[in-house]
Amino acid sequence: MSALARAAMDPPAPAPIFDLARTRGRGPADTFRTFAVSARLGWQLEANWTDPFLFFVYSVAKPVSSALILVVMLEVIGGPAGRSFRPFVVVGSALWSFVISGIAGLAWAILEDRERYRVLKYIYVSPSDFLVVLIGRGVARLVVGLAGVVITLVVGVVALGVPFDVAVVDWPLLAASSVVGLGAIIALGLLMAGVCIQTRQESWSYPEAFAGALFLVTGAVFPLAVLPAPVQAIGLLAPLTWWIAGVREALFPGGPDSIGGPGSLFAALLGHPSPTGSEIVIALLATGGVATLAALAVFRLSDRRAKRAGLYDRTTGS
Amino acid sequence: MAASTMSFLERAGTGPREAARWSRRQVLLTDLRSVRGRAYPRVKGLLREPSWVLFEILLPFLATSAFVFVYRAIDAPQQYVGFVVLGGALSAFWLNVIWMMANQLYWEKSQGNLELYFAAPMHFMSILFGMAVGGMVMSSTRAATVLLIAGTLYGVTFSVDQWALLLGVFLLTLGALYGLGMVLASLFLVWGREAWHMGQLFTEPVYFVSGLNFPVARLGFLGALSVAFIPLATGLDAMRQLAFAGAAFPAGTPPPLVEVAILAAMTVVSIVAARWMLIAMERRARRDGRLSVRWQ
Repeated sequence: MSALARAAMDPPAPAPIFDLARTRGRGPADTFRTFAVSARLGWQLEANWTDPFLFFVYSVAKPVSSALILVVMLEVIGGPAGRSFRPFVVVGSALWSFVISGIAGLAWAILEDRERYRVLKYIYVSPSDFLVVLIGRGVARLVVGLAGVVITLVVGVVALGVPFDVAVVDWPLLAASSVVGLGAIIALGLLMAGVCIQTRQESWSYPEAFAGALFLVTGAVFPLAVLPAPVQAIGLLAPLTWWIAGVREALFPGGPDSIGGPGSLFAALLGHPSPTGSEIVIALLATGGVATLAALAVFRLSDRRAKRAGLYDRTTGS
Repeated sequence: MAASTMSFLERAGTGPREAARWSRRQVLLTDLRSVRGRAYPRVKGLLREPSWVLFEILLPFLATSAFVFVYRAIDAPQQYVGFVVLGGALSAFWLNVIWMMANQLYWEKSQGNLELYFAAPMHFMSILFGMAVGGMVMSSTRAATVLLIAGTLYGVTFSVDQWALLLGVFLLTLGALYGLGMVLASLFLVWGREAWHMGQLFTEPVYFVSGLNFPVARLGFLGALSVAFIPLATGLDAMRQLAFAGAAFPAGTPPPLVEVAILAAMTVVSIVAARWMLIAMERRARRDGRLSVRWQ
């Protein structure tokens, strides 16, 4: 009997059993590993092309310059009298660099992987949770943004004479505002990522435009009271407004306030001039919770539509 | 048979060496066609990509509005609001110079177009001029829109005595700005992946030292250095002096005519430097062989 005939008569080798459990992963351990790897990848993409000092300079130049522009504007008009407003603008412009990093980080991760490196489709079909990958990628930019915040605040205190006293810092308010605010920023980034999945070329400007619009209504560098009442109402619905107010109030208690004050909608609605720390935290939790739920819903909808329409493997040449 | 095809066949019949020998007129016409060709997508793109229109107007407008509200919050005189609006309009040109001039060659390299430019029978300066001409047209519409909307919305009143000089300063500012953009295009290409970060570095920090939202004289020696070397600072200061004649703001910068001379010098120097940079970049690219290596 020929070898071929013998082979034909032998029973077939047992097919490898498909282990369904593998598709479910190993729960939190896998999630954490995915997050860690994508955060590391994001960091490498951000920072592996230059030496650390240069990277540091690039990262802090923008927020420090923004703060300096505002400080000189105050000095030109207010002179010494305008210095009481200095902590207000330094904190606001420092925090804003973090907002831009957070919002742009997630959205640009989509655009970079789809349009530039063209690997988004491979990442999407890998056995990792896409949402976790995306948040991990965004974290790298958040870290860079955080460096900008810290350096801008240090420059403000050391070089610009911002009066900072560690003893008067409201640490619980700072911690609560920072944690909930961070969640809100990631949620807004996720929202923009959901939008950028759908949009075609030139989406690179969308996160910046979105952040620019929020910059106007969140009291980052000027009090909301100078805006018309309907615009103030929009600002009060944004979690970033409460986050900035919370951090500002925690670092410089009793300083100029971005939400209340004479002529503000807040004062008209609640009957007292400025929000208290607990009011800020409650409002931040409420608006942040709504923003997070909305962002998740938009992202899931966008994800579903992108799978149906084949948007993950479509490059638009931007 | 089309004239161009006939011309090619005639040249082809005389051998490759003769075909490659062009008259001055042919070279000039080809270069002019290249300028027009490179400017074309930017001019046409004005309306073909609606998101460009929206975002290139929206971004400078939002930034301008934020600074207007800062001045309003501290009860600044109305002229300062005018300063901010004028600065916001000029920032459209600066953003265009940084992102669509300086960064452009690096992006062209990433997309694989740069080697085609080098292989095409034209002078590379034509590409840079085309980018500049298209960019000027594109940004002028953006700047005019920002000026119109923000000026109307925030009640800015201009007080101009010398319109001709103001127009001259504006045109010279554009010349100097885009000349600088042509120089930066080669530099950014050499800097490779740092180009994006350099773009960031050339935005807010330059806004600060140029006094985009406040009189640059306020910066003292730093302001004087900016007026001497950064066309945005020089042009903006001259235009403010001319557009808000008689306004009370910190003096200390040269009068507009001196700044006109500075801008003219900047324009000439930057165009010569751009040509030199191109030659140096091409030499270096040939030596290192990295001209077509993407993402570096």
